[in-house]
Amino acid sequence: MEAFSHLLGGLAVALTPQNLLYCFIGCFWGSIVGVLPGLGPLAGMTLLLPLTFKLDPAGAIIMLSGIFYGAMYGGSTTSILMRIPGEAASVITCIDGYEMARKGRAGAALTIAAVGSFVGGVISVIGLMLVAPRLAQAMLAIGPAAEFVMLTSALLVAGIASSSALSKTLVMIVLGLLLAMIGNDPLTAAPRFTLGFLQLADGLNFAALAIGLFGISEILLSLKLKQDERPRAPSLRELLPTREEVKQASMPTLRGSFIGFIFGVVPGVGHIVSTYASYALEKALSKRPEEFGKGAVAGVAGPETANNATTGSAMIPLLVLGIPAIPVTAVLLSALTVHGVQPGPLLVSEHPQIFWGLIASMLIGNVILVILNLPLVSLFVSILRTPVGYLAPLVLIICIVGVYSVKGSAFDLGVMALAGAGGYFLRLYGYDMSPLLLAFVLGDRIEVSFRRALMISEGDPVIFLQGPAAQTFLFLLVAALAIIAGGAFWRSRKKSAG
Amino acid sequence: MISKHFARALFCALAAAPIPALAQTWPARPVTLIVPAPPGGGTDVFARQLAEMVEPVIRQKIVVENKAGAGGTLGTTQLVAAKPDGYTLGFIWNSPLTSSPHTLKVSYTPDSYRALMSIGYSSYVLCASPEFPASNAAEFIAQLKANSGKFTYGNDGVGGTMQLGAERVFRKLGTRVRAIPFGGAGETAKNFLGGHVNFYGGSLPPIIPHVKAGKAKCLLLTSAGDNEALPAAKGLDAIGLGAEETVLWWGLFAPAGLPEDLAATIEKTFSEAAATPKFRDAMEKLGGVQRVYDAKKTGELVRSELAALGEVAEAIGLKKN
Repeated sequence: MEAFSHLLGGLAVALTPQNLLYCFIGCFWGSIVGVLPGLGPLAGMTLLLPLTFKLDPAGAIIMLSGIFYGAMYGGSTTSILMRIPGEAASVITCIDGYEMARKGRAGAALTIAAVGSFVGGVISVIGLMLVAPRLAQAMLAIGPAAEFVMLTSALLVAGIASSSALSKTLVMIVLGLLLAMIGNDPLTAAPRFTLGFLQLADGLNFAALAIGLFGISEILLSLKLKQDERPRAPSLRELLPTREEVKQASMPTLRGSFIGFIFGVVPGVGHIVSTYASYALEKALSKRPEEFGKGAVAGVAGPETANNATTGSAMIPLLVLGIPAIPVTAVLLSALTVHGVQPGPLLVSEHPQIFWGLIASMLIGNVILVILNLPLVSLFVSILRTPVGYLAPLVLIICIVGVYSVKGSAFDLGVMALAGAGGYFLRLYGYDMSPLLLAFVLGDRIEVSFRRALMISEGDPVIFLQGPAAQTFLFLLVAALAIIAGGAFWRSRKKSAG
Repeated sequence: MISKHFARALFCALAAAPIPALAQTWPARPVTLIVPAPPGGGTDVFARQLAEMVEPVIRQKIVVENKAGAGGTLGTTQLVAAKPDGYTLGFIWNSPLTSSPHTLKVSYTPDSYRALMSIGYSSYVLCASPEFPASNAAEFIAQLKANSGKFTYGNDGVGGTMQLGAERVFRKLGTRVRAIPFGGAGETAKNFLGGHVNFYGGSLPPIIPHVKAGKAKCLLLTSAGDNEALPAAKGLDAIGLGAEETVLWWGLFAPAGLPEDLAATIEKTFSEAAATPKFRDAMEKLGGVQRVYDAKKTGELVRSELAALGEVAEAIGLKKN
């Protein structure tokens, strides 16, 4: 119960009026940047970073991390209502969240996402409190070789779980990996497929690609398919989830919490991979996998919980090792170092008020967020009452503003337009966009970890089978494939028997 | 027709009229400070803190614009293309100026920009695990020489200042240590602590907490002098290679063609702010050492470092892409 007494000390820090205010500002601002497509937690935090130079270190990190986990709440809103991913970790929610909205269950989807985010966020903070040092050691064991095995396995498993035919999924994965190649070679900086554009030196902009593939292609498709397929605004009575929906959401929410917490330590892409992993797991465990892609409650509850559950564990590398594993925690690191606090193995003992104050504030912040977000559900849903003649241009404007706001680059708008046109044709022929985006996100790291591992081993591929981390991931891959194959086999037998 | 000609003539006359001494009116409007790095990193933080200290002196706003990408060359390219009127300045670390030109096609040379001043530096350091059989710089070098090509060290990226600086030393020692490029010092630290590479190579702040916790011992700095924060590590002076110093440093630059008197005003304003004890504290918190150089010295440093790193890049077979 030592952790408990520390937590009380942390509450004393987090509950001072000014820190409570910073926490609220962070959560509020985070919700806003999360809802706006394109703007993600990173942009939201860097905008407020200079402001924190004047605060004390505890206040600074409380406010900035509020933006981080706050953005994970808002991210699902546009995914569900308009099929525009609010940020990368909400791509998968576009699938079943939007289908739920089409059935008039937008309110239920948003509520389930908000409650799932809360559960995931809280479980993740508790995990951070209890097992941080051990998880940090596990993280260190993941070298380049193990990272390659892990990411490739994730891509394979998530790909197989996609709703489209396996051949089509593989096409999209390869396409995503190819698109990830665009830009300067991450190791030698040699330009690849940049066609001489300096704007492509750092690769395609993820927001432009994702919003084009999902948002723009949806507008084009809705024009072709006419208006009867668009989301229906529910009446006030239909806003809350039904008893059946709550039942369907409860287990995925719990499982999503654990998946998210574990994946939070994956460097760089944990929050995104966790949503795909949760979706794949829920589909494999579901008694009615055919519902996935057509508005399955579990397909919203699991991933939306998982992406929030990564927020606690993503802090672990930073707080225990002083190493930011994702860009967001890199901003937190600089907010601390500006004040002369260098996180590392000694942070907990040297600056307990920062460590435990942060943990306490994350618990409080999650409560603030769920109170903040639930009443907004009815407000957001009312957007769907807009006549389609106004809604389509509105969605288009949101897409354009969202993409432009990321870097202020008109070039990215061109990328978005092209991605929209490409996405339209691909979706017309039944290709699923989500494996492409996952492959695009992972492509860079898969390539770099592969090359690094071989540089370390001087070209010997056996390195991918060595070490406890790589072997664990290989075992998990086999287990995941067995669950998926077993589930399919069991269902087909049941079908033929029934 | 006449009136049109007259208007044109008048316009030309006005445009050609001698501009009143710029330095006396500068700055009449906010100054843009291009930082070719993302927000939150050391370069960005120093730029913002320096700007904050200069603002009350010049009584104008300094707008920090982060133009990150392509190893800092994107923002630097933008700076040299700006009008040399003192309203667009750049706060740049040395890599886009002295390292990147050897591996990337850049559109600028030292003639495209004008150095105004520099604020100081931060050394790179090589660290080994606590079990490594060397307890000082001399023993470390002996190990490197005896095991050429066997050890690996993590660095900040192919052709980056850290790698070129380290290779500069290895080359003088006549030994080879295999370079494994990572995305930054944090990632290098993680792979070093996990035992995936033999040595940590990178800036000081990420590794110092682990030295204190007994998880790493730092042995050799790439600066000429020693560093108080790491008493066990030696600078290059101690092994007779002081001339091979390569550090991370930061300076203020303007597009070439900035009028002489204006350049002098800006140099003086920023140098005074950078030399204050307050700024020294700010730098120390991020592992930096205050060392204010004037415009002339900064410009010479760029040229000599560019030449020295060019030799290293060629010797280790880095090609320009």
